[in-house]
Amino acid sequence: MKTIVLNTLEEAIAPELIGTLVKDGDVEVINTAGMKISGCMGCNQCWLKTPGICVIKDDYEIIIKKLVGAENVVLVSGTRFGFVDWHGKKIMDRILPMLCMYIEFREGLERHMMRYHPLNFGLLYKGDADQDLLEEWSRRVASNLAGQSLGVIKMKEA
Amino acid sequence: MHVVIINGSPHVQKFSNTDRIIKSFGEGLVAEEVTYELHSLSNRNEWDAAREAYIGNDQIIIALPLYVECVPSILLEFLESLPTERKSPAQLSFILHGGFDEGRQLRLAERFLQTLPQQLGCTYGGCLVQGGSFLIRMRDDKKMKKAMDKKLETYVKMGQLFARRGNFMSVEAQVFTGLEVNTKIALFMYRHLINRLIRKNFERFASQWGCTRPLDDKPYA
Repeated sequence: MKTIVLNTLEEAIAPELIGTLVKDGDVEVINTAGMKISGCMGCNQCWLKTPGICVIKDDYEIIIKKLVGAENVVLVSGTRFGFVDWHGKKIMDRILPMLCMYIEFREGLERHMMRYHPLNFGLLYKGDADQDLLEEWSRRVASNLAGQSLGVIKMKEA
Repeated sequence: MHVVIINGSPHVQKFSNTDRIIKSFGEGLVAEEVTYELHSLSNRNEWDAAREAYIGNDQIIIALPLYVECVPSILLEFLESLPTERKSPAQLSFILHGGFDEGRQLRLAERFLQTLPQQLGCTYGGCLVQGGSFLIRMRDDKKMKKAMDKKLETYVKMGQLFARRGNFMSVEAQVFTGLEVNTKIALFMYRHLINRLIRKNFERFASQWGCTRPLDDKPYA
């Protein structure tokens, strides 16, 4: 089972921290801080004009290609306002090409069908945040990706 | 009363569903002789003016679409640039919408938004919540126009209500959401009758946009 870790922090992530969410399988860490990645514009072209391909030509395409070969995605993010900060949210907002326009019901709610396969989702965060809010967010994001929440772990300060 | 409305969508104003909702809501405000100004975060050149308006006014509404189960990153980035203390009091309210119909889809984002005013030194003026906004952008499509015009008309009424009440704390604003989840009958209808129709509509929209690939294409497989 392959896990892609999207580290949005400036610092490296310790491998043992990832092990708190994912027990086995291959793990690949992508440090996004130095990558050229813009925010999602909500244009819907990846669903209705060029299915699966984002209109923004930047380094996020590298991430999409990696996610196609993975079963788990773990976000590593800073926090603000009790939630993930904008750097972390930006990385998740761009995940839309992994889904497609067609709709199905999952857990009683309308959801977009996955373009390739389900993805499990987990979160490692740094700083103060509302743990309950983040756990519910993680469950919803995982449901959105037709997968399971791997959990939400607060990283200890160095 | 003068209201500052900030469009928290990253979508360019010309194609923004949030912008259409705001314009309809604004019609309602103006009908009750309330003035408003609009700042759109999709245009970074407007950020300084949006910040000044936020700091200098006492009635602020942030309108936003649901993005991956919460608020769009561009709005979080803007919020992080605001002062957390105010010299003069202000009320912060929200208009939250999303593509899917069910209100439950929007409740986590609403829960997060409820915490923001206090963290920014404002009071909370409530959150107007409604789904089913995806098709607003498709209202040029003849089959969708009537339904979407009707939907936008409800936002005009909410603008009038806000002008009279000064917030979204009324029962009318709370029931504006409509259905919280689909009924079992609706789920049955969807699976056996409506799904095919919806797929055909999506494929028609895609064709209008110049799409030449299947909507479930796998370009990186």
